[in-house]
Order: sequence, then C-alpha cells, then structure tokens
Amino acid sequence: MPTITVDGRRLEVPEGSTLLQALDELGLLMNGVDVPHYCWHPKLSVDGSCRLCQVEIEGVPKLQIACDTPVADGMVVHTTSERVQRAREGVMELLLVNHPLDCPICDQAGECKLQDYAVDYGLDHARTREPRRPGRKRVELGPTIVFDEERCILCRRCVRFCREVPETGELVVENRGDRSRITTFPGTPLDNPYSMNVADVCPVGALTTRDFRFKVRVWDLDEVPGLCTGCSKGCNVHVGVARGAVQRYTPRRNDQVNETWICDEGRLSYREIGAPDRITRPAVRDAEGRMQPVSIARAIERAAERIRAAVLREGPAVVAALASPHATNEDLTELRRLLDGIGTATSGAAVVEGEPDGLLLQAERAGNARGARDLGFGDPGLVFEKIRGGGVRVLLVMGRDLLAEPFLGGTDPLASLDAVILLDTHRSALEQVADVVIPGRMLAEKGGSMTNHAGLVQRVPAALEPAFDAHAEGAVLARLRAALELVLPARSEGAA
Amino acid sequence: MVSTLVAQAPEATVLSDELRAAIDREIARFPEPRGALLAALRLVQDELGCIAPPTARAVAEIFGLHPAEVLEVLSFYNLFHTEPQGRHEVRVCTNLACSLRGARTLLRELEEHLGIRAGQTTPDGRVTLGHEECLGACGYAPMLRIGDRYHEELDGPAARALVDGLP
Repeated sequence: MPTITVDGRRLEVPEGSTLLQALDELGLLMNGVDVPHYCWHPKLSVDGSCRLCQVEIEGVPKLQIACDTPVADGMVVHTTSERVQRAREGVMELLLVNHPLDCPICDQAGECKLQDYAVDYGLDHARTREPRRPGRKRVELGPTIVFDEERCILCRRCVRFCREVPETGELVVENRGDRSRITTFPGTPLDNPYSMNVADVCPVGALTTRDFRFKVRVWDLDEVPGLCTGCSKGCNVHVGVARGAVQRYTPRRNDQVNETWICDEGRLSYREIGAPDRITRPAVRDAEGRMQPVSIARAIERAAERIRAAVLREGPAVVAALASPHATNEDLTELRRLLDGIGTATSGAAVVEGEPDGLLLQAERAGNARGARDLGFGDPGLVFEKIRGGGVRVLLVMGRDLLAEPFLGGTDPLASLDAVILLDTHRSALEQVADVVIPGRMLAEKGGSMTNHAGLVQRVPAALEPAFDAHAEGAVLARLRAALELVLPARSEGAA
Repeated sequence: MVSTLVAQAPEATVLSDELRAAIDREIARFPEPRGALLAALRLVQDELGCIAPPTARAVAEIFGLHPAEVLEVLSFYNLFHTEPQGRHEVRVCTNLACSLRGARTLLRELEEHLGIRAGQTTPDGRVTLGHEECLGACGYAPMLRIGDRYHEELDGPAARALVDGLP
C-alpha cells in the first residue's frame, strides 16, 4: 500500500484510490482532514466540476482536485495552506455568483453545504454588481421532487445518481455555459423507485422532496439512528423527530447494507408510525361481544385467563402463536420464552413477499423476517393447518401479515377458536375476531435489534415515545408470562 | 449495482431505412457506438430539418441511450435544432469583431426588414433569422451565413438584398 503524507500525517492508503477516496476510506474526510467538496460523492463516479476540493501537492506546480488525483507513494499533500484557502475562497465566490441568497425561505437551510462552506470560505459581501441569473423556482421534475434552478450549482450529483444507481437516467444538464440547467426529457419525468435520493445527494437546496418540503425546520429535528423496517434489507436511516412525531427518514450511510441510499417506499414508510389507524388502547371483548377499552394490566390478565383455561382443559398443545416478522429480536425472544413456559411448540411467522428490485428492496417485506426464523419462527404452514384442523383453541397473534392471500386470506378460519389474542401496531380485520387486543410499538418507538436478510444484527435506540399508552411487545409478553407462570400447573410441576 | 429498473420503452418516430443504414455506417466507424451520436444527429437533421423530441427518442433507441442523454447533446450544440426551421437559415455573427463593425445594427435591420425577431421564422417559412458566435471570418466583418455559405463585408442594403434574393 502506498504511503502518503497529508498535513504532516503519514497515512497508508489503498492502491489506485483517489485522494478523497483514500481519506473517506480511512474515515478522515471531514473528520480530521477537511477537504470541502460538492460534486464528489463516495458512491458516485468522479465529476470534477465543483473545483472546491483543490489541494496542494509538493512537486506539482498547480493545485490539484483531490477527487480526481490518484494517490502515489511518497505524495505530500497540504490541505490547509494559504494557497488552498485562497483557492477555496475563489471557488466559493464563483459558486455563489448567481445564488439567490434565499436561505430564510429555503428548506435546505441548516443542512446546506453551501451555507456551511460559505461560513468557512465565503466573503461577507458580493463583489459583483451584475444582476443574478434568474431561474425557475418550482419545477416539478417528477412526482416526488421539486427543483429550484436558482439554487443549483450544477454539481451533477443527481444526474450521476440516476444514471449509476437506479440506471434510469432521467436527469441531464441541458445547454451549456451559464445557460446550463438540470432538466428531464419532455414527457419523461424523474420517476423511479429511488428518485428521492437525489434530494439527499443534492448538497444545496435545489432538489427537495415534496414529502418533506416546508414541513419542519431541520434544526428542530432530533435525528436518531434507526432502521427502515419495510423489507428485510435493514437499510440504515436517520429518524427525524419533531413535535412528537417522525417527520422523515433519510438514509444513514452503511457500506455493508444500503451504502448511502434508501428506496422511496422505505423512505416514506415512516408514515406508518404516525398513521391514523394505529391501535392506541388495549381492549377486551365483553359478554355481549363488544370490544371494551381496558387497562393494559386487565388485557394481559384476560389473555392469561384464556390461555390458562385452554391449557387446563386440553393441554398446552392447543395454544399456538404467530410471531411478527416486524418485531424485534428482543420481542421475539420473549415470545419464545412464553411459549416454552406454556409448553407449546406450535408457532411460525407469516412473512409477506413481493418482487425484489435487484438494488435494495428484498422479497421479504418485513424488517426482521430473518431474525424470526433464527429464533425458530419459520414457515407458518403447520400452524394454519392445525387451526383449520381444529387443533388450536387459543391463538396469540403478533402482526396482521397472516391475513394476506398466501396465508389465511381473511379471518374466517379464526372464527371458531376460543380466543384470539392480538398484539399489533395497526388496526385490521383481526380485531373483529380478537378476544383481547393489545397495542404494540413500532421499532422507532422502542428500539431493539433486527437481523437483516444477510444475517447482520443491527441494534438501534428508541427515537420517540408513542402518543398513547403502548408497550413494547416484549414487555407485554414478559408480563403475560409472569401472569401465567404463577398458576400453570404443568410448569410448576416441571419446576418442582 | 445491477438494476432491474429499466426506463419505459419510448414511443418513437420511425427513421427511414436509408437514414438508418447511414447511421449504422457511422456507428461501425467508432469503437463505442455512442461515439457516432453527433454524426448520426447531423444526418437526421439534414434529412428532417430538425430533431424534435420524438425523433430524439428514436435516435436514443438506436444508441441504447436515455432520450435525455440525446437532449443533452442536442442542447449543447447550437447548430442542432429541436424545432422546425425556415427553408433558409440566416445567421448574423455578433461576436466581437463583427459587433465592432456594426453587426448588431445589421441584425436589427434584418429583423425590421423581415418583420421577425432573431430566433424566429417568417410566417411563410422562408427564412429563419438568428445570430451566431464567431464564424472565423473576422477579417471580413460584419458577416452572416446562409446555410453553409458565408457572405462577408456586408452593410444594411447588401444584407437586405441577399435575404430578398432567397427563393
């Protein structure tokens, strides 16, 4: 490996990489070695158009752009010299020559590289008197993205993203010189399943998502590390929380999982957290068959009564469970302990599948399908068979995936059971056949670990508290186990 | 990354067999097919007069490019047109030398004479008037070109006579 010296630090760098790539791979870029840049992106091809990353290399007469300069053994680089500083100031002045300076009404303000570097390298006044180039302010490039031409610095990250990642290529720079502008072909809008990533790669406020535009100021957001739970990929996200609600997901870089991307469907899946169809209160069915809201303690007590009665009458084998592939490993471990305590092995997890897209989106549309399998909750076919054959009296259901077509296709097969105990986050037809309904929490509301399709276990903290009284499923199941262990004869005999 | 997210198949105008064959001959001359894009666009414009969006789609299909990539090339070169032009293209050079010798006045006079602005075509479709950057004839300024021919050392009456003589 070549050795280079950057600002007096000797670094071993990967052969054949560029300076910026090498710094990025060593984790030093903007984290010890500040080489500001706009057009360079770690996951896109080199463009070399913004000219901001110029550095001084000993023995080379002119400054070189670090994004397109390959490392060489013995190279001595200076990133903080007076020459470099002046070059950055010059580049910033040119990039800002036509900038509308509309930060107060710009959605990017607060997370804008133009603002950041203008503070570091910008002049505090303009030396130009010419009018600024006017541009179109609200161009709908497609169903998800709005473009502000005046703010664009033509770094072409969005153009390269569309060509290189989804390989759809909708965006181009048309014309040339000071008439250059980002556009789409007439009748072919920016519309692909990864389109909203262009707003993330845009270093300025030119590209914004229609979803997040003008919703909340970014400095009002608490950004907590989280995971997208839409499929089994486990894409890393920042969960942006403000006013007690999740306002957005943005991709969080993880080169092992999602690099710096997320699909549009996954990005918008944060909406499920604040959705109006959340189950918000525990309820039990009364003697007239109506659901009555109760305390969570009473709901757990009722669930325990149902399980206890069935076990005493017909033995533990008539109790079955369907684990949620959306629950955390911690939740599912509690479910496993509960089932072991009861003494039943009839369990599985229904995982809804769709078409994978060859990029991020996996066939299994559940964040912890692999984790559920690893904990022994596999093919639910046997559970359904046993339900249809009358061998199940009490069914503990986490999640509503079993209603999907390849599984039960509806609630009819559940109507003849003694009791369905439902532990779920969102309302569904299951409530009509449930004897007990207990609200659960989404991952962002409880934290925990999930195992992605490749077996990678990822743990994230809770990002917010739900607005209603709900407990993590694991906590509910632990209380249910506590309620049962006291009285289950099979268990106490076994322990004695 | 390998993607399955292929852009939708565009509806395209059909290019004539002769044109298609000429484009294929150009493609055969380059190591990368897209190297022949400029040559192909010239052939298309020579035959059709302009390269409207449906035509650009057809060309993109031949080269396996996104139509937007063809637009990018078309818009970069001001000798390509995406809208129909008049039978005669009259372009007055307004670069430095010609402007110093009265090219801008010349252009204004032609605008008045033809009753159109630079960039427009006469209603009868006879003349498209426009300006052009340096055509390399600074020693003979001011000048204009009509199609591929240069006309040099002009003044107002001479330019008007030229334009009036166009069929």
